[in-house]
Amino acid sequence: MGGSHDRGLGPGLWLVTRTLLAIWFVVAAFPLFWMAAMSIRLPIDAFSSNPLRVLLGPETARLGGGGPIGFTGDHYKAVWIDNAFHRQFVNSMIVTFSVVTISVSIGALAAYGLARSKSRLAFWLLMTALIFRAMPHSVLVAGYLPVFANSREWLQPLWDMPGLGALLRLMAAEPPTLYGKPFGVIMVLVAINQPFTIWMLRSFFMNIPAELDEAAQIDGCTPFGAFWRVILPVMGPGVLTTALFSFLLAYNDYLVAALLLDAQSQTMVPTISQYVNSENNLTDQLRAIAAAVSITAPLFLLVLVFQKRIVAGLTLGAVKG
Amino acid sequence: MLRKLVIAAGLTITAAAPASAACAFQNQTPIKVLAASFAAWRAVTAAMQECGNVQVELDLQYRDKQPAALRAKPALYHIAGLAPNTLVPLLNDGSVRPLDDLVAKFGQNLQPNQLIRIDGKVMAIAMMINVQHLMYREDLLKQANVEPPKTYEELLKAAEAIRKAGLAQYPIGGTYKAGWDLATEFVNLFHGYGGQFIGQGNMPAVNGEAGRKTLEMMKALTGYMDPEFLVSDATFVQKQFQQGKIALSNLWSSRAGAMDNAAESSVVGKVTMAAAPAAMAGGKPATTVFWDGFSIARNITDAEAEAAFRVAMEGLDEEMVKANNAAAVWLVKGFETTRLAQGAIASAMAGAPPYPATTAMGFMHTALGENVADYLTGRKTLEQTLQAIEASYTTRAKEAGLLK
Amino acid sequence: MKTRTFLGFVAPSMAVMLLFIALPLVSVLWQSLHNTQRVFREQSVESCSPSFIGQTCVTEKRMQPVLDAEGRPVSETRFIGLESYRLLLAPELLSKAVRGVSGAFDELMRQDFYRALRFTLTFALVTLPFVLLIGLGLALGVDTLAKIWRGPMIFVSLLPYVITPVVGALSIRWLFIGDGILTAGLSALAGTKLSLFAQGWTIELLMILYRIWHIAPFAFVVFYAGLQTLDRSQIEAAVIDGATRAQRLRYVVLPHLMPLIVFVALIHLMDSYRVFEEIIGFSAQAHRISLQWLTFHYLTPDHTGNRAVSRASASAILTIIGVAILLLPLVIRTWRDRAREA
Repeated sequence: MGGSHDRGLGPGLWLVTRTLLAIWFVVAAFPLFWMAAMSIRLPIDAFSSNPLRVLLGPETARLGGGGPIGFTGDHYKAVWIDNAFHRQFVNSMIVTFSVVTISVSIGALAAYGLARSKSRLAFWLLMTALIFRAMPHSVLVAGYLPVFANSREWLQPLWDMPGLGALLRLMAAEPPTLYGKPFGVIMVLVAINQPFTIWMLRSFFMNIPAELDEAAQIDGCTPFGAFWRVILPVMGPGVLTTALFSFLLAYNDYLVAALLLDAQSQTMVPTISQYVNSENNLTDQLRAIAAAVSITAPLFLLVLVFQKRIVAGLTLGAVKG
Repeated sequence: MLRKLVIAAGLTITAAAPASAACAFQNQTPIKVLAASFAAWRAVTAAMQECGNVQVELDLQYRDKQPAALRAKPALYHIAGLAPNTLVPLLNDGSVRPLDDLVAKFGQNLQPNQLIRIDGKVMAIAMMINVQHLMYREDLLKQANVEPPKTYEELLKAAEAIRKAGLAQYPIGGTYKAGWDLATEFVNLFHGYGGQFIGQGNMPAVNGEAGRKTLEMMKALTGYMDPEFLVSDATFVQKQFQQGKIALSNLWSSRAGAMDNAAESSVVGKVTMAAAPAAMAGGKPATTVFWDGFSIARNITDAEAEAAFRVAMEGLDEEMVKANNAAAVWLVKGFETTRLAQGAIASAMAGAPPYPATTAMGFMHTALGENVADYLTGRKTLEQTLQAIEASYTTRAKEAGLLK
Repeated sequence: MKTRTFLGFVAPSMAVMLLFIALPLVSVLWQSLHNTQRVFREQSVESCSPSFIGQTCVTEKRMQPVLDAEGRPVSETRFIGLESYRLLLAPELLSKAVRGVSGAFDELMRQDFYRALRFTLTFALVTLPFVLLIGLGLALGVDTLAKIWRGPMIFVSLLPYVITPVVGALSIRWLFIGDGILTAGLSALAGTKLSLFAQGWTIELLMILYRIWHIAPFAFVVFYAGLQTLDRSQIEAAVIDGATRAQRLRYVVLPHLMPLIVFVALIHLMDSYRVFEEIIGFSAQAHRISLQWLTFHYLTPDHTGNRAVSRASASAILTIIGVAILLLPLVIRTWRDRAREA
């Protein structure tokens, strides 16, 4: 497999590719590496214009009384313990995992339908989804704000209706205020994420021969049964890859959460920009950097664990589309 | 799913802060606060939380959601932290309530100048003033052999002298970040030159003598600023001061405390506060006075409003001010003026006007924020810039129905 | 598949998109054609604000919104047709500029919409070839590496793509703003103090470099996955035929990857046409603005709560139309594929 066609790279070409790859390696890693280095130094080192001081932290070491290389966990302590960053972490996890679960579930259903249908309707639905992806998010989000803020008043008539009202009252005593709560944000992110999810999963389904589900249906499965018992089990890599992309979107979202969540349900990313923009001093900025590194850590792990599968998943589906 | 989530969300909300002895009463009504995120609000809301059942949201972008959140029925927040300009949309929506009854009942400790009256009714309570005033490095001025400037012309001369003496390449710092900050600098100077922004029938009146002088002065000042002035906000200027890079700036009084913070500042005790320079010799300081304070939402029950007001009074008590004296120029009883507050007080006493917060001024401020940078970067000429400001104002005011 | 079964499968997804995207879209379209105004009345208002000692009270004539019996503001909405679009597009000026009236083109480029369009298009079109080339180069390069090197290389390469955009933009900003470490380094190299945030073109360059850094890994991973599906026997056949490396790339590898290149190009054009985070992250608005930033700017209430909703909606619709034009090739291609299959 891979690489075989490039056996016998001439020495010149070998040197050029290796140099270029090495440069990219540094460029890709440097900003993150630098942020991590700053986050464990005192301001006096971290904001020094002498790079060696940022790297080695002499003042930090002197004041901390530690070894030759300075280290301070103060900023992380301030972020995680004093400012209870774990609450935002939990909020982020609630939002992210709900978005991924809902998004992939309903996306897989739709994508399967779209992959198996040859109707004109299916084509136009796909195209519409693509146009939906083009909506500037800022417009969408600003549109939700008044609706979410007023949802209790606006939904009240439904709760007052005979029949349906009783059913709804079983679920919640009074209509929910969507503003500030994770539920609204989750649904918005699911919706924003649907076009990409559908397109991606559809390309995976296209690569699974239709004979497979036809055979299952001949064996007496309903269309949904065929989807559930026969198609989904062979879709592992595709679902996983798509889920990872959904994860990135939900986890990294700033605009939606910043405007529609209140402080108690706030996720990590908007909290960071609060740190950065608040009336601040150098120590606050280093806390922002420590928080930024903390946000990046789970992504780091994610890529570490799943990078092979991302490539394998893409290989199986999207890239064949 | 839905129900679980709603319940989960509900749980986090009802988790209340424990009540402590520092509060005069035990608050039983859940109260929510939305205010800007800076040191003074952090101090006040921490004191409020001592009463129990107070949930605080400090957000720098609070103004993006505050109008919608208070318009809702029931309002999503009880106490709205605000400033003169951000009070305007709430008044326009009728979403804050008159406070006269509550002031009579629970406001014994309020000073008369804390009551913000609109048409005779108390609509907000102020807690501090904030104003841009002169901060300068006394040592550098002495070395360059110049007097502390009283006018902007003198400020330019002082900057020139400092540069000539090789004490700083860019002696002036300015909050010239494009948008709201830059527009505020324009507003300050324009008032100093005796300008009136809005003329008869809400027509814009920027394109005149005062407007020209203001833009020319701003351009002259930028000649002494770090070339990245268009991304320079108050934190950036504060940092420049702390690192000893600049000698003079017209900076917010809320930043004065940072100059003497030994952990960060290399110029502790060297920065002196004074009234904002006048634009014209003998004129009033060219700056505008802002206040910060709170209002109570209209769309809540009277019982909630009462609890909210009492909690807020606990937040603004003497005890809090004594513990946080340096955090702001407080209007609350118990505030002791310090060296750092001199600039704000001198500016206010010399008759610096209040910031003219009206709907029309909101459009004007935005129009300035959109266009002044174009003159400073040279994209537009002086005439083009002033015309563009008026055009941008007119378009917005017409859209909103303020102009026919 | 039967239409009913089909509808059953797509229903949940469509319902979510209908509720949270299509409805807002319709309302945006509606709002771009209408204008809602408060009803104002001139009133004499006394307002008092605190000074340090005492208060300053002024009585002045102000335009005050009229409130109804419930204390809610009275507003009226009317149809304004394409007025908001006209304000944005300035058609008279455009036609003057097209006819070559002197000075009209410069005047046009000072208009917010055209300034934003200029930047947005430059941004999208300049980043595109770099993203594709770097992505392709990386994919081919990593493919030649020994197995043990590939893992770490892929891992590090993916980081710029997965990192939270807000954090990514900030990390770059910290490196360059003021005396940031890289600016200091470049200044030392150049022998003069550089200020990268002082003029438009350097900020524009930084934003472009940031986007390339951020998106090239996506192109890389897609192309790399594509390379893994390449039928190696074709390559071997080409080698036997005596094809040079360049020829193999030109006639075997690139055609195989072509659909992916088109796919990445379109996704990238679509996303970079909505460029927004960079403007905020680099505080570029004094020098460069983008179309989505303009929309956002009209929509964000100023300090006294005013918003230009109608123009914001018009600007959003124009952005969508722009993206639709960019997507036209893909739509046509997919349509043809379908027609061929049918």
